[in-house]
Amino acid sequence: MDIENIGFETINLGHGSGGELTRDLLDKIIFKTFSNPYLDQKHDGSIVKIEGEIAISTDSFVITPIFFKGGNIGELAVYGTVNDVAMCGAIPKYLSLAFIIEEGLKVSEFITVVQSIKKAADESGVLIITGDTKVVERGKGDKIFINTTGFGTMHPKANISVHNIKEGDKILVNGFIAQHGMAIMSEREGLEFESTIESDSTNLNFLVNDLLDEFGEKIKLFRDPTRGGLGTVLHEIANDISKGVFLKEAFIPLEKQVAAACEMLGLDPMYVANEGVFLMIVDPSIETEVLALMRKHTKGKNAALVGEITSEHPKKVVMESLIGGKRIVSPLVGEQLPRIC
Amino acid sequence: MIKTYKISISGQVQGVGFRPYVYNLAHQFLIKGTVSNNEVGVIIFISGEKSNSENFYQKLISFPPPVSKIQQSSIKEIEVIYFNDFKIIPSEKGGQLNLPLTPDFAICDTCKTEIKNPKNTRYNYPFTTCVNCGPRWAITQTFPFERNNTSIHKFTMCKPCLEEYTNPSNRRFHSQTNTCKTCGIDLFLIDSEGKTIETSSENLFKKTAKLLLEGKIIAIKNTSGYLLCCNAENSEVIQQLRTKKNRLNKPFAVLFPSLKHLENEIELNQQQIGSLTSSESPINIISTKNYIGNLALNKIAPRLNQLGVLLPYTGILQLIANQLSFPIVATSGNIHGSPIISKNNEALEKLQHVADYFLQHNLTIEHPQDDSVVKFSKKFQQKILFRRSRGYAPNYLNIKINSEEKILAMGAHLKSTIAFYPNENLYVSQYLGNLDNYDVYNQFCKTSENFIQLFEQQPQVILVDKHPLYQSTQYGKELAVKYHSKLIAIQHHKAHFTAILGEYNLFEEQVLGVVFDGTGYGDDTHIWGGEFFSYENKSIKRIGYLENFDWLLGDKMAKEPRISLFALASEEMKPILEEKFSPSELKNYAYLKSKNKLKTSSVGRLFDAVASLLNITDINSYEGEAAILLENSILGYNLKDCTLYCEVTSEGFSGKEILKNCYKDLQHGISKEDIIYNFLFTLASTILKFATEKGFQKIAFSGGVFQNTTLVDMLIELAPKEIKLYFHKELSPNDENISFGQIMYYLNIK
Ligand SMILES: [Fe+3]
Ligand SMILES: [Mg+2]
Ligand SMILES: [Zn+2]
Ligand SMILES: [Zn+2]
Repeated sequence: MDIENIGFETINLGHGSGGELTRDLLDKIIFKTFSNPYLDQKHDGSIVKIEGEIAISTDSFVITPIFFKGGNIGELAVYGTVNDVAMCGAIPKYLSLAFIIEEGLKVSEFITVVQSIKKAADESGVLIITGDTKVVERGKGDKIFINTTGFGTMHPKANISVHNIKEGDKILVNGFIAQHGMAIMSEREGLEFESTIESDSTNLNFLVNDLLDEFGEKIKLFRDPTRGGLGTVLHEIANDISKGVFLKEAFIPLEKQVAAACEMLGLDPMYVANEGVFLMIVDPSIETEVLALMRKHTKGKNAALVGEITSEHPKKVVMESLIGGKRIVSPLVGEQLPRIC
Repeated sequence: MIKTYKISISGQVQGVGFRPYVYNLAHQFLIKGTVSNNEVGVIIFISGEKSNSENFYQKLISFPPPVSKIQQSSIKEIEVIYFNDFKIIPSEKGGQLNLPLTPDFAICDTCKTEIKNPKNTRYNYPFTTCVNCGPRWAITQTFPFERNNTSIHKFTMCKPCLEEYTNPSNRRFHSQTNTCKTCGIDLFLIDSEGKTIETSSENLFKKTAKLLLEGKIIAIKNTSGYLLCCNAENSEVIQQLRTKKNRLNKPFAVLFPSLKHLENEIELNQQQIGSLTSSESPINIISTKNYIGNLALNKIAPRLNQLGVLLPYTGILQLIANQLSFPIVATSGNIHGSPIISKNNEALEKLQHVADYFLQHNLTIEHPQDDSVVKFSKKFQQKILFRRSRGYAPNYLNIKINSEEKILAMGAHLKSTIAFYPNENLYVSQYLGNLDNYDVYNQFCKTSENFIQLFEQQPQVILVDKHPLYQSTQYGKELAVKYHSKLIAIQHHKAHFTAILGEYNLFEEQVLGVVFDGTGYGDDTHIWGGEFFSYENKSIKRIGYLENFDWLLGDKMAKEPRISLFALASEEMKPILEEKFSPSELKNYAYLKSKNKLKTSSVGRLFDAVASLLNITDINSYEGEAAILLENSILGYNLKDCTLYCEVTSEGFSGKEILKNCYKDLQHGISKEDIIYNFLFTLASTILKFATEKGFQKIAFSGGVFQNTTLVDMLIELAPKEIKLYFHKELSPNDENISFGQIMYYLNIK
């Protein structure tokens, strides 16, 4: 898109007033980018047809910086919500999209964000069907906040529920953990690691869909361990089902440079945020097939078994450590990392 | 005229040969009556002339059996009963347990002689015990201490053993742990595949000694848990053991075949000899400055000029020792941070890749315990406990409590213990270890529940540390729900302080508390560790502390002394930091420090910073390494030559200032040793000045920093006459005392 044609370089309060400038912003950037039959109705809302049970998930994206290695806030806002819908065992279809822009945001940056949203939505196979744009005074926001709500239809074979989890069920993840959190940290805090760490932000819905097609209700649970990391999610699960989680440190996929960065900062990768990662709890009978399927998929190349559900230590996460012996993975109190999504 | 008296005795009086002793004494005095154990101790009824009865009583309480400890005794005249003779009557469980439990006792000299004598029936029998010696707490299932309440119960006494047991003139009269080769515990040597190699007692010990000589690692099941042993003069096998056990540098203890052997190689003082040969037989940490033997010291205790030594304290160790011409490494049988192993199958499973052979037996160990560790300060022979376990646990005798409530205290996290007050006595468990380790945690839970069951008393009050992340805190919360108990959180350093106040019962006094340690969760949510408290009138106030500095990088800071240096360093030390950190580390840490909000007053970290500044260590390979190496870098001191590194203010003192002056001296070419003297001297003088300025005449010390015996010596030497100092004597200054301190806090502080 050509900035010359937009006619302004930064976004100001007028763009949120609802008047001429707002229309300008919407027409020239948003509608132009996302044009589709539903959005083009230009109603107060969108009228869509969805059959059967639906899954809805909403999330607000607040992140500093808005651009980082491996992504930006725009694609995160799409992938985050798409993945949340997918974790319910649903096929994401539509997204709502709302911006809160801080006065002074460069139009060029806004355009980049919008284009990333478009690209991510296309990649995930979802349509943006309704939205909102507000502008707040300088100092009342942080460049840009985005809220998305996702709508998806339930996968016919899905039966996702913590209540289905039994002793002996296997815990798998689709790839390397802790990358996103460390990438954001390095970008935001200007921290320097031996090598660049990129966010793994991506959509997981197609992989999830394939898994459900193949294994249906033998999959007990999908979860994306975003904020709080793998450790926090596993604690939640252990508490919800009053069973124990037993992990093997040696099995947990962790890239060397991410491990080194965590070590340098005294962080436990188990508590570092993820974006393109999900964990699943499955019936032990399908463990190898699930792994084989995931490893064939681009988003599950590094899939691994990390542990299993046990009745031995209810509500506790215990890890067999690399140096031998088992350690208790204690729940995170307070935040190990500053708030990111 | 015949009168009848009832004598009640409480204290450590069961499983110590008290009843047979009373029996024989009564016969000497021609007194008739009965003696029995009950839930509060020993109860005696005697009938005789008044003066004779009183003399009997006096003799008994003035000269009780050797390993007993009388806490209270009374004699009361009652209505006359006519007895035909004097009898030991079997104990009956009349009520709830209300007497001290009996700790394990080291093998006595008489039993030692017996197992060495080919003519004796117990020749080469490792489980030879008598009323004065042998395992007690290790095998206790329930109370009172009678054979059928212990794991020895499954071995039925043979005829000769039973004869000893029932013969009043025999020294095994009423010895609950009595067994012999015929009726007793089997010992067998197996290889790491589980194949039996040797079972005959004639060859077992010779074979074991031979294997040790050949450089094999042997897991030996003692009566309180497994020990891993190897030739202490063979550096290769010690290195092997280090690699297999995943224990890089942490010193090993060395078992000497005999006191004589030990004395030939190292000079000992009377306190050390007394302690090494006591019924507790702890490991003693002694100086190796003038060591003249062949120990592979740099493998046993890398970079240290001290060594933990011990003597054979059980029949097994004694019988092996009898065959040895060299000392052996004897370290707890476990893998890196896990609890000491006590079960045969578990040992084979977990130590299969560590030990070449296993010397096992079929006695069940109910309460596994590590060896206790003590050290005497060089100049003033101040005794300091580093680990309180076998021989001391599970009692704390030195206190009288009157409370209606049943109180359970969960202690700290890294050096966990449990304290329980279920009746008139207080019990402090053996050292249980680091609760991050799942097996230790389980042992910790098991020990808590075991206490509750043993005493048949549910806790009405549960005390935990304020730290929300301590596993002991979390488990305490769970128990409080289970037993509907009141749950109270107590600040870590205040518990340290009340622990030392409790040890000396100073609750009526006005005392300055000096609590220096590594970390604890403070009332202000920052990390404390260099605290001055005032105690007066049931109230504790924090009246000073080490000036706050940044706590960086979570737990990593405690593991890497260089980070403490980074946190405390001034601009001029930049070149030193550049040597210790990569450019990106420096950049990242500077940024994190600029944003950091978590502060600390930890003296432990100040020690770390000094150790790093002096290039003693930048990264610890085991817990507390920097502090240990720091103390080890010095030999003796002369207070006259010491200089002060900081000023005392009314709020405390400054670590930054101390570090700056260390650095200045370092730049001026002052030796490392002298800088350490000055540093310790500064801490000692600062404490004393602070006390003087605030008008205290009593100072009580607690916290891991006071395991530094040089600092303790300096304090004693520097203290003006009018100031009295109190150091822990029955408990360790480290976090092992927190559980005890929590109970003291609850009972005494408003
Ligand atoms: Fe402490
Ligand atoms: Mg969400
Ligand atoms: Zn004996
Ligand atoms: Zn026998």
